[in-house]
Parts: sequence; C-alpha cells; structure tokens
Amino acid sequence: MASLSLKKITAVWIYTILILFVLAILMGITMRFTQGKTISVSPIEFYLLMTTHGVTMIGIWAAAGIVAVNYLLARYIKVSTSLNVFALVFTVISILMLWASTFIGKFHAGWTFLYPLPFHIAWETWATPMFLWSLMVLSVSWFIWTLGSMVQILKKYSLRQSFAIQHISKKSPSVETPPLVLISMVSLLGMVVCFIAAIILLALLLAEYYSAGKFVNDPLLIKNLTFFFGHTIANEALYLGLATLYELLPEVSGRPKFKTTWYVALGWNCAIIFILGAFFHHLYMDFVQPKGFQIFGQIASYFATIPSVVVTIISIVTLLYNNKIKWSLVNLLFFIGLMGWIIGGIGAVIDATISNNIILHNTLWVPAHFHTYNVMGNVLFSLAFFVWVANEFSDNNDLQKYNKLVMPLLMVGGFGFVLMFYWAGAYSVPRRFAMYPSELSSGTALASAAAWFACIYLVGVLLVLFDVLKKCAKVFSSSSH
Amino acid sequence: MRKSFFFFIALVVFSNVVLCNTNGLYSFSEEEKLFKPIANIEIATAEGEISLSDLYDKSPIILVLVFTRCTGICSPLLSNVKENIRQQQTNEKYKVLVLSFDSSDSISGMLQLAKRYNLDEDKQWIFATTDRIEALNASVGFNPVWDSTSQQFDHEALVVGVNGNGYIVKKLNGLRASSDFRSLIKEINSEFVLSYPLPRKNMLFSCFTYDPATGKKKISVGMLVMLLPVVLTLLVVAGLATIKRKPNE
Repeated sequence: MASLSLKKITAVWIYTILILFVLAILMGITMRFTQGKTISVSPIEFYLLMTTHGVTMIGIWAAAGIVAVNYLLARYIKVSTSLNVFALVFTVISILMLWASTFIGKFHAGWTFLYPLPFHIAWETWATPMFLWSLMVLSVSWFIWTLGSMVQILKKYSLRQSFAIQHISKKSPSVETPPLVLISMVSLLGMVVCFIAAIILLALLLAEYYSAGKFVNDPLLIKNLTFFFGHTIANEALYLGLATLYELLPEVSGRPKFKTTWYVALGWNCAIIFILGAFFHHLYMDFVQPKGFQIFGQIASYFATIPSVVVTIISIVTLLYNNKIKWSLVNLLFFIGLMGWIIGGIGAVIDATISNNIILHNTLWVPAHFHTYNVMGNVLFSLAFFVWVANEFSDNNDLQKYNKLVMPLLMVGGFGFVLMFYWAGAYSVPRRFAMYPSELSSGTALASAAAWFACIYLVGVLLVLFDVLKKCAKVFSSSSH
Repeated sequence: MRKSFFFFIALVVFSNVVLCNTNGLYSFSEEEKLFKPIANIEIATAEGEISLSDLYDKSPIILVLVFTRCTGICSPLLSNVKENIRQQQTNEKYKVLVLSFDSSDSISGMLQLAKRYNLDEDKQWIFATTDRIEALNASVGFNPVWDSTSQQFDHEALVVGVNGNGYIVKKLNGLRASSDFRSLIKEINSEFVLSYPLPRKNMLFSCFTYDPATGKKKISVGMLVMLLPVVLTLLVVAGLATIKRKPNE
C-alpha cells in the first residue's frame, strides 16, 4: 500500500503536471491561432513557444507515467518516496532552466533541437548551453529515477520474473508477475536506454559548444541519437500509461484483475526490442543512413505496435464484452484513451511506411498522429489515474455535476483538434510553419478551427483539474497511513 | 641551453602559424563563402557594360574563373565545363559566365577565347572582364597568386554557382564529373540537392570514413556510438541481476 509520504509526493507531482499541462496547452492554442491568423505573434515567439510546448509536453507525460506506476507498484513492492522527491526537485530545476532558455534567452530551435541548429545562434548566446544543460539535468535525474524504480522491483522479483519469462515457459508458474510489474519493467528499461542515449547526445553537443570548433559532431550520429532519445521516451511514456490501464481498468469496472498470460508476457517482451528500433523511421529522408537501418525502421515500427496493441485489445475486449460494466469517469477515460492510442498508432504506422513517408514527411500528418496518441491516448490514461488517485486521497468518488461534461468536452475538443491536423496533413500542409503562405490557405483555416477545438478540450481539462486538485489537497491535511 | 630550447619552440610555433596561414590560402574549400552574396560588380561583355545583378536577376549563373594567358588548368577547366553543360538535358534556365581574373585581359581577348571553344554564338555563354576582380575574388573566396617566374597565376580550377538572388550556393573545385554539374544546376535553381559533410579530423565520431582515392565510404566509429546506449543498458541490467532479493517484502 502507498505510504502517506508517497501519497503526498504523488499529489505534488499531480499539481506540477496539471499546472504545466494547462500552460503548455495555452502555448499550443496560441500557435494554432497564430497559424490561423486569428492572433499575431512574431515568428521568433512562435518557435520559442513550439520549443517549450514540445519539451514540456513530452516531459510531463513521461513524468506522469512514472509517477503513476510508482504509486501503483506500492501494491506489490516497497517504493522509494525519496527517489520521487529527488526526481521532482531536479525536474523543477530543469524546467526552470528550460523556460529561462526559451522565454528569456529566446532559444527557439524546436523540441528536437536538430543539429546543427542549436549552434546557429539566433538568440542570446547563453540560451544554447542553458537549453542543453536543462535537458542534461533532466536526463541524468530521470535516469536515476527510472533505474531506482527498476531496482525497487528487482528487490522483490528476479530479473526473469520481472519480465514474466516464467509465464512464457510454464502454464502455471509458482511466482506470478502482475501485468503492472511486467509493463512497468519493460517501459522503465526502455527509458533507461533512452536516457543513456540522451546523456551521450547532450555530452557530444556540449563538447562541441565548449570546444569552440576544435570538435564537431557528425550530423547523422546526432540525429540518430536525438530520435533514439526523443522517439523512445514518447513511446515508453505511453506504455507506462498502459501499465496503469492494466492495473486499474478492471478494478474500477468491477471486474477481476488482469493476469499475465503467455501471450501478454511474450507480446510485451517482444515490444522491448522493436520499440528501441522504431526510431529509425525518423531518418527515412537521410540518404546517408545505411539502407538496412531504414528497412529495420519500418519493420520495427510495425512490430513495436502490433504485440502491445493486439495483446491489449484482446485483454480489453475480454474484459468488456458481454459483461456488466460500472462506467465511471475513470474507466471512460481509460477506454477512450485506448481508442485514441489505437487511432494515433494507425496514423503512425501509415507514416512509418517508407512509401507513404515520402509524401507525408514534414506534413501536418506527423503532429496529427503523435497528438492523437498523446492528447487522446496517454493524457487520458494519466488523467484517469489522477481522477482515481484523487478519489482515493479524498475517500470521495462523487463527481461534481459539471463532470458529466468532461468526456463530451474532451472527445469533441480532442478529436476535433487532431482531425484538423490529419486533414491538413492529407492536403500536404507542411509542419513547423509559423504562418502559411496564400498557396496553403487551407492550412490557415484548419489551424484556426483546431485552436477552437483545443479551447473546448482545455475546458474539459480544467474541469478535471479543479476536481482533482481540490481532492488532492486533502492528502496534506491527512495524518493517517 | 634553456634560451636555445625556448627559441627553438618559439620558432616551431611561429613556423606552424605561418604554414597554417599559407595552407589557408590554398584551402580548396568548397564551403568557404557558401550562402554569402557575390559582389555585385560591373562587367564588360560583348554587348557592353552590365552589372552582375543584371544577369542573376534574370537567371542563375555558373561562374567560371579563367585568364587568357593561362597555360595551366584554364583550358582543361573550360573544356570540362563545356562538355558537362552540353551533357545536361535540363529545362532549367541559367547562364554560364566565363570571367577573366587577370586585369590585363581585354574583352576582345575573351571573345577570341570564346571563339576557340565554339561558344561565341551560344547565347547561354557570356565571356567578360572586369575592373573590380579583387572584390569578386574576395566575395567567392578565390585567391590566385601571381608567380613572376612563370608569369602565370597559381590558382585553383573554380566554378561557382550563383542563384537568382545573387547568393553563392555551390562551389566546385577541380575538374568535375557530369553528376556534380547536375547538382550545381539544381542548386542554383533552388531545387533540393542531397548533401552530407565529409569526415574531418575534428569529427571524432564520424559515422563513415571516406577514401577520396577510391571514392569509397566505410562504416566508422560513430555507428558504434549509436549502439552505446544499448550496450551500457545491458551492462546495467547485468548489474541489476545481482541485486539481493527480499521476495516477502
């Protein structure tokens, strides 16, 4: 069971994440309204918003996943509260550094900070090292956080048991690995790899910055490392969201808990390798990349999705089909989140197919798919956890009357918002344009519509936020374990 | 003894600095001055005085730098450019400007040169001289050195691609293949051209090594760096496997 200190630190994390989420949504809305010519911000302001929005969003939803599994893992293992405090302190420090580099230093090289863009200084000179150091602080502290979480699991389960290998070889193993432990372990391992990639990447970039031309990087190596880190963290964050779904969805639906079966164990173990190789699909346009990597990128993209999607769908259909379900905001968020994840995943697989990527690369199709599985996937998984945990903190499952509006607002706003991206992508409207020229007037109209849909989504998020924050506050006045 | 030692060290450092500077003169860099504007000088052509912008405002330019008294690379360079341009079957618009960098050259001498290559009737080719060659040389990073013994300029065979906005977008050094000219023409017409920086001494973790003699590239240490996160994680996992368990905790 979660200790009071773990509950308190989880509540602080939820406060931090939700406040940053609302601010990052406002940045996104500002960008889309600018593209829609409803408001006007300068190109520099647009790109610094794009940089801040991207890094903040990826960061907070990866953090939300780790926070959620850490809280739920306390049911099976002893979880370190101090590790969560350590991660929170350094996350806040790195966010302050990041926002200083963008909002004060005007750094605006995009969240992917593609080499050599950070070194073409078009902002304050200190902003480049500040941005890189902010990510270094985050990567090192989260490396320790995720590694520490793995160590906690391995204090109870052996390496073999934590990956549920015994479920593949035996029908009824003596030690059962809960799906939460298996998926958390798979995802945390992926995160460890991607944080090591991030540390190497940032060390190379900082070495070039401080060497004043004596050392330069190979653009191909840097791009590979950038997406090894960037693509992997975005996907692993999603899988941590799925881990909470496996743990909580049956519970809140009044159904028996999921058990790890041979196909669940096999599917998730296969996912480890393929998730780590899928990032190669970001480099299809890089003609110097060895052809073998490009082919592996397409195959890995297919197989990274299939085991986890098929296994999860089978599990959820088994749970829901022909069973009386007690629907609440929590399981609705999980269920719609699952739909969003699948739709975004299909969009991703379409884009990861080389013959399609030639057309869709750098169009709004790309933000379309990753916004779908984040805005309507991972975010909903995490919101489901937040609502559930807030109810637990306050011993109050009652929903405010206005909470009946939450799902319609999130669905209309969220799906409407991503549909505008898909539509624009299908019309070959390019991404990363602050303003669209007259030839791309469809991009302008769709951006404006997307911004209005995002406003609707924001209202839904604010309703959840008020309810969750009010309930989370109660944990600070509680003295019992 | 100590003084001699320091003097020797100082001499070595000084000579290295001087040598480095001389090397800089003959750097043959195709990146120098890239994406910088070309000097908008006045040039004398068969049809009179015009400014360079009069040319590139209408169509991009391939600039070839030669001089009429040249007994070295100029002739092979002109033949090479002519042959490669002839092989291009493209719809792109561009002019080839053959400009003398020798201030003693006259426009009549340049027109004779054109005649020698059967290019005097070709509207795509313009032969010209200028009084402001230093400004142009500085803007393109071209550094001919007069050798009074041979009465010749010591210079590289340089072809410069200038786009419709007057910016240097590609440079070709030496006698080049048809495919290089194909890229040059695409580049000056603002079409997408694949490019990748060559491995250099200060690029420690290059993904490839390139042998200019054979033109072959090989996978190098940079690719191993890409594997490093996985290798380090495997080591971390091996370490984690040794953790003492407390199954009943």
